[in-house]
Amino acid sequence: MAIRADEIPVSRGRPRGTARVSGWLDRERILGPVFVTPALLLLLLLVAYPFVMAVYFSLSNAFIGRPSEFIGIRNFVRLWDSDAFRQTFQNAFVFTGVAVFFKIVMGITLALLLNEQLWFKRMIRGAVLLPWVIPTALSTLGWWWMFNSLYSVVNWTGIAIGLMDPPGPNWLGQRYYAMAAVITVNIWRGLPFFAISILAALVAIPKELYEAAEADGANANARFWHITLPLLKPVLAVVVLFSTIFTFSDFNIVYVLTRGGPINSTHLFATLSRVLGIDTGRIGEGAAVSLYLFPLLVFVVWAQLRFVRKQAY
Amino acid sequence: MNRVSRRQFLTTSAGIAGILAAGVPPARGQQREISYLCWNNFAPNSDKKLAEIGQRFTKDTGIKLKIDHVSHMGPQQSKYASEVQTQAGHDLVEMRMHFPWLYEPQLVDVSDVVTELEKKYGKALGSSYEGAHVNGVWRAVPQYHGMFVATYREDLFKQASLKVPDTWEDLYTVGKELKKMGHPVGIPISQNYDSISTAGPVLWSFGGMEVDKDGKTVRINSPATVQMIEWYKKMFRDCMEPEVLSWSDASNNESIQQGKAGWIHNPVSAYIVAKQRKLVTADGINHHRSLGGPSGRHETDTPRHIGIWKFSKNVEPAKEWIRYLLGKREVYDEYIMSGDAFNLPTYEKLQDHPVLRTDPKYAALRGEGVQYHTYGWPAPPSDKVQLITNTYLLPNMIAKAVTGTSTKDSIAWAETEMKKVLAG
Repeated sequence: MAIRADEIPVSRGRPRGTARVSGWLDRERILGPVFVTPALLLLLLLVAYPFVMAVYFSLSNAFIGRPSEFIGIRNFVRLWDSDAFRQTFQNAFVFTGVAVFFKIVMGITLALLLNEQLWFKRMIRGAVLLPWVIPTALSTLGWWWMFNSLYSVVNWTGIAIGLMDPPGPNWLGQRYYAMAAVITVNIWRGLPFFAISILAALVAIPKELYEAAEADGANANARFWHITLPLLKPVLAVVVLFSTIFTFSDFNIVYVLTRGGPINSTHLFATLSRVLGIDTGRIGEGAAVSLYLFPLLVFVVWAQLRFVRKQAY
Repeated sequence: MNRVSRRQFLTTSAGIAGILAAGVPPARGQQREISYLCWNNFAPNSDKKLAEIGQRFTKDTGIKLKIDHVSHMGPQQSKYASEVQTQAGHDLVEMRMHFPWLYEPQLVDVSDVVTELEKKYGKALGSSYEGAHVNGVWRAVPQYHGMFVATYREDLFKQASLKVPDTWEDLYTVGKELKKMGHPVGIPISQNYDSISTAGPVLWSFGGMEVDKDGKTVRINSPATVQMIEWYKKMFRDCMEPEVLSWSDASNNESIQQGKAGWIHNPVSAYIVAKQRKLVTADGINHHRSLGGPSGRHETDTPRHIGIWKFSKNVEPAKEWIRYLLGKREVYDEYIMSGDAFNLPTYEKLQDHPVLRTDPKYAALRGEGVQYHTYGWPAPPSDKVQLITNTYLLPNMIAKAVTGTSTKDSIAWAETEMKKVLAG
């Protein structure tokens, strides 16, 4: 015998309140915000609040443990008058520009190598990630030892194989060498991020495209410029975007290796911000240093994301 | 199961209600507890002794003491800044150099404790006074100090028949010989505090200063600074290695311990560590007084103090701990002895302390310290003098000069930067 829908017995044992909550949660308009709220609260607490506080501090004469007053953009104007800040500004662009450039070139090269059939493929791919996995301060201490003026293993090796004249370069004590040293460590540290991200994109490129190009007579060089690179562009844009921001705001490497020296020639925004904000107590100026490039970075993010969107659609 | 009687129930309920209404826990059974944040001492035995004294303090007074350590300088300042900003953390903190000036509004007035200590041990030394006596009030209690003396390889000096220097000029004479022997002079000229600890006394000995006594007038552009820079230039060229431009606070210690440097300007920590680690260089190391110049002998040191945060809810027990550690002569002596002459008493009557007789190589420290000053002297410490210090304007001026900038331009650069700091 067929049973009509309206004849199905409805359970009457369910409490009315629970039924009502369950009914609300069935509606997307309510369920969505319920799911999003915890994440939103976390963002507000961990990102928005510190950011707003940093902006407030940068516009005030805040000093550790003392009442502060709003002073407008005076901190930003005064900073520009300081020789150490102007030097830091220049350093940040040199450091980021050179490091990101080498990370792109070496990252693509490494990814292409890793994409080839190699022995111990998985082990090598895992090992490539090591610099990124080890805590930065710890690995930088290793580099500090390698560049140390008293027992530099880099110089010892260079002298032993006849590449350098004794005593070898004073890596952390001369301005250009010191910058070269901090850039080298940054490249070493950031390379795995580029290599693995690019490798992921390389793996996703259909093999048929290469086969078709090969059939048309394209050599390896042509295949790279006309197939690989154009298809890597969206991933490269995102990786470069993240890396630029991370490199601009680097702290550990410079702090451990040179503390901004010699004569401020390796200071970055984060290290100078620490000196002013923490060591000297001038929180307002320290915050202003760290936020100086915020408008520029926002523009870079906007431009890059726009580019990525264009590439995607 | 034990049954609760009606009487017990009523007593307990009334008690809890009373506590809740008053918002204050009952005194009985309430464990008084204080926490103390200090740095990892360069003489590690001193930290062990501190823990031991802390346990005795708890036993004698019933006040539980928790001692935490933080590594020196960088992490220490971040920790203090975060405690002040959040108004939470330790009750007591060990403070270096000018910290009491930096955190002045956040520190309890401890003049009562210092007055008691001074009555007992004599006046606190000049450098401690300069560091912890802020605008007429003691904001921290002078604890100990570690003075900068000359540490040299006595064995090498004897081998080459070199005379122990008495002035900075004498050091140039022996330094040339030392460098020829492959054992250069090790004075850092980099962005660290040891660089300032030497540059300050050299400048003062030539009659110069960064900022005048008024704390407002920049005085770096003077003939004395020219003399000082010229001295550094010839030292860098003839007596030192370029590596000093990248040195950290520990590098000069390491250099003499590992047998490279023949002379360094430092507290006795290099020798203490060499002795403890049984390094081959330990036997050859000795000390002599810091050096003088045309305007006399001026020295610096790194005084330490103990401060109590205003947000602490245990100010009295915290003071009790300071009185226990520093106010009881036998306990203070025990603490000082454990530091092996790195931590020296910072009160006048204790200058000829028994710790200086534990090793003949501490003879140079006897009677020293009274004339010592903190960074930035003769300007009174302030947040601006602190900024001049922390941005390493003095060593950077010297580094510029020894790496090719003319003396005149280096001084002009430092003068401009210092003026901007004071005007800001």
